[in-house]
Amino acid sequence: MKITLQHLCFLLILASLVILPFVNDSRTLIILLTQIFIFGILAMSYDILLGYTGIVSFGHAMFFGIGAYTTAVMLKQMDATLFTFLLSIVAGMFFAGIISFLVGLLTLRLKSHFFAMLTLAFAGLFLVVAEKWRTVTYGNDGFTFRAPDIFKDRITFYFFVLTCLVVIFIALYRFVNSPTGRILIAVRENEQRTKSLGFNTLHYKVIASVVAGIVASLAGSLYSLSLRFVNTSVMTMDITLDALLMTIIGGVGTLVGPLLGAAVIEYAQHALSGLARDNPIFERWIIFFGILYILAVIFFPKGIIGSIRIMFWKWNTRLKERRKSPATLPHKKERFE
Amino acid sequence: MELMVNLMINGLATGMLIFLLAAGLTLIFGLMDVLNFAHGGLFVWGAYAGIFTYMYTESFLFGILGAIVTGALLGLVTEKFIITPVYGNHIQQILITLGLMLVLQEMIKVVFGPNGVPVKTPSYLAGSWEIGDVIIIKYRLFIIIVGFVIFGIFQYMLKRTKIGLIVRAGVQDKEMAQALGIHIKQVFLYVFMVGAALAALSGMLMAPYSGVIYAEMGMEYAILGFIVVVIGGMGSFSGSLLAAILVGLAGSFMAYYVPVLSLAVNMILMAIVLIFRPQGLFTIRKERST
Repeated sequence: MKITLQHLCFLLILASLVILPFVNDSRTLIILLTQIFIFGILAMSYDILLGYTGIVSFGHAMFFGIGAYTTAVMLKQMDATLFTFLLSIVAGMFFAGIISFLVGLLTLRLKSHFFAMLTLAFAGLFLVVAEKWRTVTYGNDGFTFRAPDIFKDRITFYFFVLTCLVVIFIALYRFVNSPTGRILIAVRENEQRTKSLGFNTLHYKVIASVVAGIVASLAGSLYSLSLRFVNTSVMTMDITLDALLMTIIGGVGTLVGPLLGAAVIEYAQHALSGLARDNPIFERWIIFFGILYILAVIFFPKGIIGSIRIMFWKWNTRLKERRKSPATLPHKKERFE
Repeated sequence: MELMVNLMINGLATGMLIFLLAAGLTLIFGLMDVLNFAHGGLFVWGAYAGIFTYMYTESFLFGILGAIVTGALLGLVTEKFIITPVYGNHIQQILITLGLMLVLQEMIKVVFGPNGVPVKTPSYLAGSWEIGDVIIIKYRLFIIIVGFVIFGIFQYMLKRTKIGLIVRAGVQDKEMAQALGIHIKQVFLYVFMVGAALAALSGMLMAPYSGVIYAEMGMEYAILGFIVVVIGGMGSFSGSLLAAILVGLAGSFMAYYVPVLSLAVNMILMAIVLIFRPQGLFTIRKERST
């Protein structure tokens, strides 16, 4: 594999993130970064659906919630050890995989509008289950649970989440660049044509839905452990909206985009709720996000990464042309004449 | 028997409220092919603007008018600035209207304050009649009547008048209607305004029914509206009416007999309908190019 500038950038960022806790051990910063990583994982999983396959799902919080509740319930009912936690992650991913497979099979045959609404309905159903199944979930109030001793230290947890993020990033990178991932992009671009080329598009869309579901469940597990508390808010529409917003702002159809989006949104949330102490208008920070979101859809549909890419691409072609220009330009002209 | 009648009246009243909400949605979707996720935002703005007008002028009728005007104005702004850039792109429509929903919902808290507002029914609509063991709450009867009247007016307008003809022509074939000299952009704008006004009206009527209004009610009821539109078949007026009544009745009977399922019953209904009949019970679009 050739090492490119991009790889070097990633390595540099990763290295600085690894060194950071030793240089600056501010608790808020560590917690904020952990939160960014967790939502980064969630947003990346959402981008598999929205950016790579071109389907809008409103049920993503469902898988996040499955992961969160599996971890929370298992840590509460069994000993709070590292083994239980790892087991709960696997169990959550397993459930999420099965449910996303079944839901995908049922819903992915439908067109975009109907699919969006049916996923909304399924997510609503799960929210109701979480609210009503009080013996396990304690309803709306939620419950606290003990974290494994090793994660009592915020910095250990930070490294654990960072490792998860890197692993998931590499895995998803491999996935979207695999033949299957390429077909997902083909589905996004033109489903009819993909179908007529002989691919069973439903099959591939279900694969995308299962992958996204499993990764979202992991994010949910990490999220509930980071709070050591879980309630039905992990199943609500807000989580899906957050993931959607992060993906759109960062840039759909890339993996770095959602990560960047997660960083921007989480940091903005943190900063704006800090500002709320000075001016009450900032308490309604969702308004800013809503406006940002509308503007992004109209003027900035490719997001941060997408726009940078286009800029870079234009710059690159111009550079190439200039390099060629004095000698080759007449050549070109001749050829056209 | 009396119990059945009571449950049916309750269900019918709820169904009618949901129908008013869904009517705007289905109108907008039917003609413009826009799925307006901000409908709940218009709904809650209607409720707040209407109730505040009502409290200020102490006239329920003025409240209703206030709600309708607010809805139409918001519809005007929304169509001009939010919907126009994204015609024809479903995914962008879903995303952008969702963003608008967030803004509208939060703006409620900025303008009217973050707390819920209790709402009183006007005196001439409060109270109930008792016929034997059947209790008829006046306000519910009022809603049922309003619902049927609105349904009648729209049915008449769509089927019998020239405006209806234009709208139906637009539904059938946008390009052809335009070629025949109909300013379809203008028609879109008016339809969107009417749809938004209907949303606002249903919000206003919902307020005394639920007794309290709060900013988050928009999304909750909008989901009900979507469910009804999907069950009924997108863009079909009669389908929405039937589906709304179905949802209302199912809700009221379930709440009595199987309370555990009452919250999920709508979702289950929608899931079943979509899985077996993805186009909904009724549908006006015979051919659709994707």
